[in-house]
Amino acid sequence: MSKSHNILFFILVFLLQLGVSNYLNLGPWVMVTMVPFLILQLPLPRSPHVVMLSAFGLGLLLDLLSAGVLGLNAFAAVMAAAPRKILYRLLVNNDRQDATWIPLLRDFGTIKYGKYLFALTAIYLAAFILLDCVSVRPLGFILVKWVVSTFASTAAGLLLAFAFQRRS
Amino acid sequence: MNSRSGLLSTLSAFLLFLVLASLSILLVVENGVVQRFRIMGTVRDIQAWGWTRTNSIATYFNFRTENERLVAENLRLQQQLARYQAAERELDSAARYVEPDFSYISAAIIKNTVDRQHNHLVIDRGREEGVEPGLGVVTANGVIGIVGAVGDHYAYVISILGAGQTVSAKLAASGAFGPMTWPGSRPDRMILHEIPVHIQAAEGDTVLTSGYSTIYPPDIPLGSVVSAKVSQGSSQELTIALFEDFRTLHTVYVVRNNHQAEIEELYEQVP
Repeated sequence: MSKSHNILFFILVFLLQLGVSNYLNLGPWVMVTMVPFLILQLPLPRSPHVVMLSAFGLGLLLDLLSAGVLGLNAFAAVMAAAPRKILYRLLVNNDRQDATWIPLLRDFGTIKYGKYLFALTAIYLAAFILLDCVSVRPLGFILVKWVVSTFASTAAGLLLAFAFQRRS
Repeated sequence: MNSRSGLLSTLSAFLLFLVLASLSILLVVENGVVQRFRIMGTVRDIQAWGWTRTNSIATYFNFRTENERLVAENLRLQQQLARYQAAERELDSAARYVEPDFSYISAAIIKNTVDRQHNHLVIDRGREEGVEPGLGVVTANGVIGIVGAVGDHYAYVISILGAGQTVSAKLAASGAFGPMTWPGSRPDRMILHEIPVHIQAAEGDTVLTSGYSTIYPPDIPLGSVVSAKVSQGSSQELTIALFEDFRTLHTVYVVRNNHQAEIEELYEQVP
């Protein structure tokens, strides 16, 4: 897939996320986010500085354009972007390190990719939900929301990964 | 040399992480929803346009419910008007020229959230229609929130269904009052705090706005008592079932206290 196609796909997923944030009301117990998937779409060998700044910008733009509290997505995106490479080494352990390589589902299979996406999503949502709900909602609610949302968002991310793979 | 540059890179990455995380938390703590509404003027107008269109479709499918609700409200207002007209006839002519305490601007909701920790609404009335930050937003069945920011034709309302939002409320039967807050779980439940333990609050007792704030008019029905429990041995916490269903809201009233400036001036005179 060419660079322009990658960018177009990235923008389409971002617009989809905007639609979900603004118009999809799933109730207080679950939220669906595709931001961890978008963070995965950033080329892997990039320096952590670039990845964190990109994730922060992405989260902030989402906060600005969607109905929510400014800073929540930005915070969660930075939290998920920071350990991206460490998680990659721990969960995927693939040797490939091209300068502009984007980790794809087909490169290391659904299980490994799923675990990687699940871990990033879990960190993202833990940061998001804790910051949003702390001292406002009971711990049980926070835990249930975190677990349900992590599974729902990972499933959404995997669907997108399959779609991205088909187009490439 | 390599290990030194590697260490520097790791340190600078950690520093950047701290800066970005702190900046994000600062934005959240400052509750930047209102600031964003002000900053994003053009984007907000485009969003408002989109919300208006989608809301029109949703409203179309809710016409019957909304119509029934408006008919009921109209009937109640007519009865109220009749009572006031009867009372007015008994007053002397000078009293008729007394300025009313509150004035109202009707508005349609074009965006409403109920499932977040900090909920909000966007209404189709703004600066040009006389809406200002700080004004209250109510319906006949309850208090909705406070105007947080205004554009020319739209306003951003901070919902009472949000962390840190408080409404001064009282029990209709006893007059005992306290702050009412949203516990964050259900959009149809709030908690009335600081009711003295000697006050008997029965299930079904009506809760009204106290009128002790300059934002909301007194005696707007808010909800009814569902349960009570003693908190810290000295006061009661009452769970209130709200009369207003925030999930089906379509029209609201922005309310202006016509004496607010005078009241604030009095506060300023107090040393």
